[in-house]
Amino acid sequence: MDHQSRFTRSLTYILLSLGVILFLVPLAFVLITALKSRHDLASMPFFALPTDWRWDNFPKAWTDGSLGTYIGNSVFISVIKVPLGILVEALAAFALSRMNLKGSLTIFMVFLVGMMIPMQATLVPLNIFLHHLGLVNTYPGIIFIYIGFGVPFGILILRGFFRSIPKELDEAALIDGCGDGQRFFRVILPLARPAVAALVILDFLATWNEFILAQIFLTNDKMKTVTTGLMTFVGQHLTDYTLLNAGVVMTMIPTIVVYVVFQKHFVSGVAGAVKG
Amino acid sequence: MTHRFRVLKPWLFLFPAAVIYLIVILVPSLYTLGLSFFTWNGAATAQITFVGWDNYIKLFTEDTVFQLALTNTFLWTVGSVLVLTSLALLLAVVLNRQLKGRTFFRSVFYFPTILSGIVVAFTWRWMFHPEGVINGFLSLFGLGDAAPSWLADPSLAFGSVFVTSLWFGIGQPLVLFLAGLQTIPKDPYEAAIIDGATPWQQFAKITLPMLRETLIIVLATIFIGGMRVYDLIFAMTGGGPAETTQVLASWMYYQTFQFNHVGVGSAISWLLVAISMVVIVPYVRFSTRQAEQ
Repeated sequence: MDHQSRFTRSLTYILLSLGVILFLVPLAFVLITALKSRHDLASMPFFALPTDWRWDNFPKAWTDGSLGTYIGNSVFISVIKVPLGILVEALAAFALSRMNLKGSLTIFMVFLVGMMIPMQATLVPLNIFLHHLGLVNTYPGIIFIYIGFGVPFGILILRGFFRSIPKELDEAALIDGCGDGQRFFRVILPLARPAVAALVILDFLATWNEFILAQIFLTNDKMKTVTTGLMTFVGQHLTDYTLLNAGVVMTMIPTIVVYVVFQKHFVSGVAGAVKG
Repeated sequence: MTHRFRVLKPWLFLFPAAVIYLIVILVPSLYTLGLSFFTWNGAATAQITFVGWDNYIKLFTEDTVFQLALTNTFLWTVGSVLVLTSLALLLAVVLNRQLKGRTFFRSVFYFPTILSGIVVAFTWRWMFHPEGVINGFLSLFGLGDAAPSWLADPSLAFGSVFVTSLWFGIGQPLVLFLAGLQTIPKDPYEAAIIDGATPWQQFAKITLPMLRETLIIVLATIFIGGMRVYDLIFAMTGGGPAETTQVLASWMYYQTFQFNHVGVGSAISWLLVAISMVVIVPYVRFSTRQAEQ
């Protein structure tokens, strides 16, 4: 019995380690290539370690394309979109869960319908709309659209969390003479900090990684984000694999930093979506 | 006066979200439904002609690439649901045990999930490069001559992109399953062990039924993700070689924005909506019923 469990334990570790290798090799391969000289790459097998570690590939990729511009655009868009979107979603979720609103369940369902609609089904009318307002290739245009697509999921998460806060708190706030605005900002929103934190990280990743909307509505090279910009960058360096991979690594870095710093919230956020 | 204000006040809180939601999602999608019954090349001055169901009929009778894209989307979705769900469940059960380095293993398997489809696409394009790691590995076993060019070969490209999606997509169902497993109490297992139940019996009779809710959520999210796959396809193969990797979302893009067949593209996107509804409507009804209880 003990023998067998030791055997399965070792087998588990061997299989898990194989899995880890399988998961890390692609990343290691990209990183190694990004650090090679073009000579190393041409003369040695692709998966060999560099003989000459070229850290300067990174600054070269930075100046050789517009990676700085793309990253800057993505940072700016995320920094505005995420808090503004969550505020809009939280206000709505508050009305749907903690105010006296007739038909709130029906309204909530109408918001959920939005999760059924793939972005593809909105692109042409949104394009016409943005053109009319002169908002193609602008920050306000894309941020407005990003907020729109975040609304159904954000309301789903925040409404679920708001409902779990005891009603007695509202009554206490009412007795203390708080209006609805104060009740929202001073009582409910601070208590919902875990849900808000989880939403911040999920929302940041969704915004940072978004591709199809940016592809259609931000076509000007000065306005591109990391995803569409990386497509352009790769297109410009199709033959220079060292620089291409240096670019891929650099656009990964901000995501990795956010992931490492907020890992706990990420896990609880994804898992929190279960509870609804 | 004050009464009316009290009735209106919730709407004040609801207003920004409702307006943005209407302008960005609801109205445009209905507008697209309308466009799917017209032919139009997208130019403001061009003529728009009503053609009824023609765009839909032509997709199914004349557009062979659409038919391939539909088959591919079906295969992709079914494949993702089966493979991702079972792999993630297996991994979650293993990682839910007392293991040294459990946190490390979990972080590694979650990690790709946080990347963008575009970054993942370029990472794996490099893996599948004719002289990349995969073929280098094959040549270690003397298979160098048989090493294919994965993404340029019409019979291999779709499978190669699909494998990439497994690496990319396992993290989310894994997190969901792990969270679900943590809510299962220990007592039923203890009772089962006393009754002499095998580990497999414990899994089938306790773990699976207790994970029902999580399982439904996982299946729904993987289904939706599979239906909508776009970034990976677009950045890895662009639908090629010879259109063999086209899916509904990518073919919608090419029809609408590359060939200027706005009506046809709109019809494809509404087929996506229709197929999504088949799964999401029961799912939303299930989850709201659960939540209201």
